[in-house]
Parts: sequence; C-alpha cells; structure tokens
Amino acid sequence: MADLSEFEVFVFGVGGQEMAFDVEHVSIVIEKTDITPVPRAKKNVLGVMNLRGRIVPVIDLAAMLGLSSKDSAEGKIVVVNYEDIETGFLVEKVRGVMRVNSEDVEKMHKFESFGEKSKGIIKRQEELIIHLNVGKILEELTMSS
Amino acid sequence: MNEQYLSVFLDESREYVQSLNESLLKLEKNPHDEETINETFRILHTLKGMAGTMGFERMAKLSHKMEQLLDKVRSKKIALSSDLLDRLFAGVDMIDKMVNNIASGGNDQVNEEDLKSLMDAFEVVQEEKVEEKKVELETKQESDVVDDSVMKVIQEASKEGYNAFKIRVTLAEGTIMKAVRMYMVFKAIEDSGGQILSSVPPVEDIEQEKFDREVELVVIAKQDAESLHKMISSISEIEKVTVSSIMKGQGKPKEEEEKKKEVQQKAEIAEEKAPEQKISQKRRLVQTVRVDIDKLDTLMNLMGELVISRSRISDILRKYNIKEVDESLSQLNRITLDLQNVVMKIRMVPIAFVFNRFPRMVRDLAKQLSKEINFIIEGEDTELDRTFVEDIGEPLVHLLRNAIDHGIETKEERIAKGKPPVGTVVLSARHEGNNVVIEVKDDGRGIDRNAVVRKAIEKGLISEAQAESMPDEKVYELLFLPGFSTRSDATELSGRGVGMDVVKSVVESLNGTVKIESVKDRGTTITIRLPLTLAIIQALLVTVNNHVYAIPIANIDSTLNVPADKVQKLQDKLVTVIRGEIIPLVKLWEVFGLNGHREEQYYNTVIVRMGNRKYGLVVDSLIGQEDIVIKSLGKIFNDVRIFSGGAILGDGSIALILDVSNIV
Repeated sequence: MADLSEFEVFVFGVGGQEMAFDVEHVSIVIEKTDITPVPRAKKNVLGVMNLRGRIVPVIDLAAMLGLSSKDSAEGKIVVVNYEDIETGFLVEKVRGVMRVNSEDVEKMHKFESFGEKSKGIIKRQEELIIHLNVGKILEELTMSS
Repeated sequence: MNEQYLSVFLDESREYVQSLNESLLKLEKNPHDEETINETFRILHTLKGMAGTMGFERMAKLSHKMEQLLDKVRSKKIALSSDLLDRLFAGVDMIDKMVNNIASGGNDQVNEEDLKSLMDAFEVVQEEKVEEKKVELETKQESDVVDDSVMKVIQEASKEGYNAFKIRVTLAEGTIMKAVRMYMVFKAIEDSGGQILSSVPPVEDIEQEKFDREVELVVIAKQDAESLHKMISSISEIEKVTVSSIMKGQGKPKEEEEKKKEVQQKAEIAEEKAPEQKISQKRRLVQTVRVDIDKLDTLMNLMGELVISRSRISDILRKYNIKEVDESLSQLNRITLDLQNVVMKIRMVPIAFVFNRFPRMVRDLAKQLSKEINFIIEGEDTELDRTFVEDIGEPLVHLLRNAIDHGIETKEERIAKGKPPVGTVVLSARHEGNNVVIEVKDDGRGIDRNAVVRKAIEKGLISEAQAESMPDEKVYELLFLPGFSTRSDATELSGRGVGMDVVKSVVESLNGTVKIESVKDRGTTITIRLPLTLAIIQALLVTVNNHVYAIPIANIDSTLNVPADKVQKLQDKLVTVIRGEIIPLVKLWEVFGLNGHREEQYYNTVIVRMGNRKYGLVVDSLIGQEDIVIKSLGKIFNDVRIFSGGAILGDGSIALILDVSNIV
C-alpha cells in the first residue's frame, strides 16, 4: 500500500471483536428496537424493523461472520445505506468514527473464514479492527439460495 | 447543455409527438378541419423552435419542412391527401425516433438517407400544386403575429359573440405624455366592454413610455371595427388608427361582419362533428406541474409516517383522557385523512396516458392488414394508480393486435357474413367498485372453440372426454397457457396466441384478473380487472404465534370457526367439509415453520379463494379489517415467496402480508 491516503471508518463491537464499516455507507445508528421475524427467511436474517415508517431488514452480523453473538439487551442497530438499499446490522456496542491511514491497513489472510467479507485489518497501536466489506456482505445476503 | 432543460425538452417533445399523432389521425378522418390543421401547424412550429434552441438542427429542419407543408395546406394551396398524411405520419415517426435517440444519450442523428428522402418527399408535394390558388398573404401574416395562447382566447371568445381585432394606434408626433394617451386608449376600449389581450410593446413598457409612437393591440370586443375606430380616433393627439379583424376577413368592416358569421358557423359545424375535440381542448387548459416520480414516492412515504405518528400520539393521549386535547386530536385526524386522500389522488393518472398511443397503432395495423377498422376509445378519463400505467400498456398492445389480426375478418369475409364491412374495436375503461375495468371488444369472428379444444388435445393438455364437458369459459382459459395458439399461420404481428400468457401474468402481477368472453361470428370481449391502487389495500389482520399478519381482503371468501372434531385427515392433509365442499386446511404456523403450537378445540379459519378453489388458512385469532399501505420487504427477502410485502400498523409494529397464492 503505497499511497498514504486517509479514510474514515465506523467502528463497533460484534462477537467480542472490533469491526468497522466504511463510514460513507453508515446512515444511522439506533437502539435495538422491535424486530418482526420473517418466517422462512435466510438464516442470519433476524427479521424486519420499522425505521421511521420504512421497513428495513435486520441482520445478525455476528452469526453471519460465524461468531457467537453476546446477547445483550443494550444492542444497537447500525443502518447501512448501500446502493440505495437500507439494511440494519445488529451489533453489541458502538465506538464511533475513526480516521485511518491506509498505511495501517493490512491484508491479512488469517481471517480467511470471513472470505471476501473483510477488506483487511486495521492496526491501531495495540488494537486490531476488522475492516468489513459492506458490498460483499450484502451481496451474500441477496444471493438467491 | 443543461441536463435540466434537456429532460424538459424530451418530456415536452414526447407530448408534442403524441399530439401530432392525435391531430393527424383527426385530419385523416376530416381533412378540412381547419382548427386541427392550425393546431398541427402550431405544434410543429413550437417543436421547431424548441429543437432549434436545444441545437438539434435536423429535428428543427424536419419540423420546419412539415410546418411549411401544413402552411400550404392551411392556406389552401394544396389539399391534404391521404398520401400527404402518410408522409406527415412518417415525419412524426422520424421526429419520435430523434427524440428517442436524444433520450438515450445521443443526438438527433438518424439515418441521413431516410431523412433526406423524407424531406424531399415534403419538397415534392410542395412544388406540385404551388400555383393552385393565390392567397392573400396578409391574412397569414395577421395570424402569425398573434401569439398561440392569445389565439386560443380569441377562439373561445368568438363563440361568445366577441369579435377580435388588431388595432394599430399611432400617436401624433411630439406627443408629450405618451403613456397617458395610451392609457386613455386602453380605458376607452375597456369601458366599452372590450378586452385587451396583448399589446406590442408590452403594457409595462408603455407605462414607462418605452415606445416610439406606434402601439399594436389585440382586442376582443362586441362592437364592429368601425365603431372601435371612431371611438379611438376621438381621443386627442392620435394621428392614425387602423382596426383590422383577426379572423379571416381583412380590411373593410362591412364585409367583415359577413365573414365573421361564416367563421362562427364553421365553428358550430365543427363542434357538432367532433364533440370530443372540444373536450380535449378544454382539458389542455388545466394547469399542471411536472413532478419527479421519486418525489411523489417520498411524499407517499412521509404520509405513511405521518399517519403512524398520529396513531401513536392519539394512543398515548387517550390514556390520559384530556378533554382539551380531544378536539385538536380529532381535527388532526381529519386533516391527515384528507391529506392521505389527496396524496393518493396525486398518484392517480388518467388511463389516457396508456390509451393515447393506440389510435396510431391501430391505424397502422389496419392499413398493413388492409382491414378497415373503426377504433373507439371510451372512458379514457378513468383514473388508476400510476404504477399500473407503466405495466398495463404491453398487455393491451397484445390484446388489440389479437383483436385486429385474428378477430376482425377481412372485408370480403365480413360482407359474405352479412356484417358491416368495417370492423369495430372498442377499448374502454371504467371504475367498478374498488376496481378499474378495462375491456377490449371486437365484433370479429370470435374464438373457435373447436380449434382451441383440438389444439389442447393435441398438446395433451386435456383428454377428449374432458373436452366434451368443458364449459366455454374453461376452454378459453386454455388460451392463457404459455405458447398456446389456434391459428397455424403465424403473422409477423401477433404470432400465434403468443402474448395471452404474458397478458395473464402481467395482470396477475398487478393483483388483477383477465376474463375472455366470445360468441362465434359476433366477436370477443376480453375484460381486465385491476384493483384501484396497489399501494393501499384492505386486509384482514390475524395473529399467528403472537405476531400479526395481514391477508388481503380480495383473497378472502369468509371466516369460520371450525370445531376440531370436524377436521379430518385425507391423504396426510387436513380437510374439512363446509356445505358439502371439501376444503383443504393449512395451519399457518406450520407454513411458517414454527413449532410448539398447542392444539385448540376450535380452528380459527380464514377461507381464501384461489381461482375456483377454496382453502382454509388456520390462524390463532382474528383482529379485524384495516386499510394497509403495502411496502416491499426488499431484495434480501426475494426468496421468501409466502409474503408479498409488509405494512406498518398504527402502533408502529409491522404486519407481514401473506401472498396467498404461494401458500396454498
């Protein structure tokens, strides 16, 4: 990674891990709300929620990444707006926006289990943050099974 | 080039192309309809101007050529022959092609040779009969100077007995208070009951004395030219006044009066002949605003949110039972309800948007097949949800083609059968309860039952024994099966029954139904029934495992409480017998894959209809009927076929809407 460009990510905690989405895809974060389950939906899809009059799907991100989710009552839903489609991801806690130097991002193959769902690892001093690929995650969700 | 202007240009051009088609069709029926000739001329003139401004030279040139041609027709130098009309139609098609090219990101470039030969064709006609008649140039000039919109007013006014004049007032040289003098002229005209429609220079400039000595006015008044002349001349410091009539006649007032009568008579005749023409003109006067469809959808969504918030607020306030709030709350309810209705109405568009393009299509088809067809459109004002408008066009094209190609016989055949040689095809739309009904009716040969049956047996769809007892209605339904056809010789136009399956699937995707009725040698009627709007439906809310689900009322036959001991197992399936009818039962919690449901003594059952069959959906409880706004669940749920969408209820919770056809 030769270029030293900077970018911003939105950092949150899922399955005891620190994860991040590109900040431009995150539209809003809300408290965990009522989720209406949708029978026969794909696994990892928790259901739908009412987001200001819009019906938005909610995804169990931890389950999707093969992590065990720590069921906490004070969960948050990170709403992502990608190509004009809103999707909510249930996460455990939210840390906020972080400015990252592309120098700090490392392609790591250790996280092979995430496949293309991760873009790499962001190293900040002692911390490791998994940089997620929103597009790929949504692609997997909309793929017809 | 500015994108914004481009989209306006495209929208308007399309409208003009549509209007051109309409007026050319009118002219085909009545080539001497002067009003329509004028209108066509004006449209071309506007189109030319627009194209020129946007830098589409070819389009401007083509419109110009057509305009010139029509000008010749208008001034009676050449007659509007059917050959000439064909060329004009070809010209309109060429313009349409250019518009489409521009819309898809290109310019007005078309096949140069085609364009040239078309232009030459216009040229040839022009030269042919140039010398037939000399027309007073002055008349033409007069109407040219008058603005289109002003012309319209004049036409309206002339029906009410007003005469229209062009008055040129020249002030004496050295007049000091020019504005005041002109004001006196204005006042004199207005005091005598006349109206000033326009002036050159404009009134603002006159008021600021921004004019030399001459002012030109377009005036409607009840008096004749002479008395107007006298009246204005009496104002001091006016050097010269000329009054000329704008309608046809020119110059001498006496002659003019006769001319005027003539014009009026003509107008009356035109009215008698074409009442619908008058209506369409009136409609054009309605003021409209173009709105981006996305904005409408946003408005609709916001409306939904508002309704939900309102329900929440009233729920909360009801708990505290505050008298003072009650009144304001019921007012708020009323307003939101009204607002909701208005927003719903905005989404409705007249079906004319779909129907408009058909007269031209039918004409071309009839010509191609050398059939004579009287095409009648009824109820084009019928409104329906705009989402239908985009989808319903294609099925109607199929149906009309079928009617003309397969339905209507050749002239010879019709005469032999003792039918009128001209076939009739009626396309109509009307409201019926909560439905929009669209009908395509022809008086052709009808559907040959035997041919359909033969084909169906051939294809192994039914057995001969079945065919015997099949009612006609069922036989016609076979036509909706994919790839079914009766005529063995495929025509380029409508293939062989191709499209009927498309028609059915499109209509069903819009929650509608199609029905065929046919009588041999009397004709065929195809009826499409659509719900009034897709966005809001009536639904029955039910609960299953403490979650609320919605079943569209349109699917529901009745609700029943079936005692558990009346439920039997038939080949692993639950059924019950209601009035001698065996009805399969479906436990919704099983469909949803939810276990651990305790057995009850009674089954709360919603009986739904699918085609001619009934099914019972077993639920936990019934809540009641409600209007719900359908929202898509989104791509992630594309594979969940048992729900057609979701709706947000008054308390903010979500009810999933059952897609009954995918459950039973």
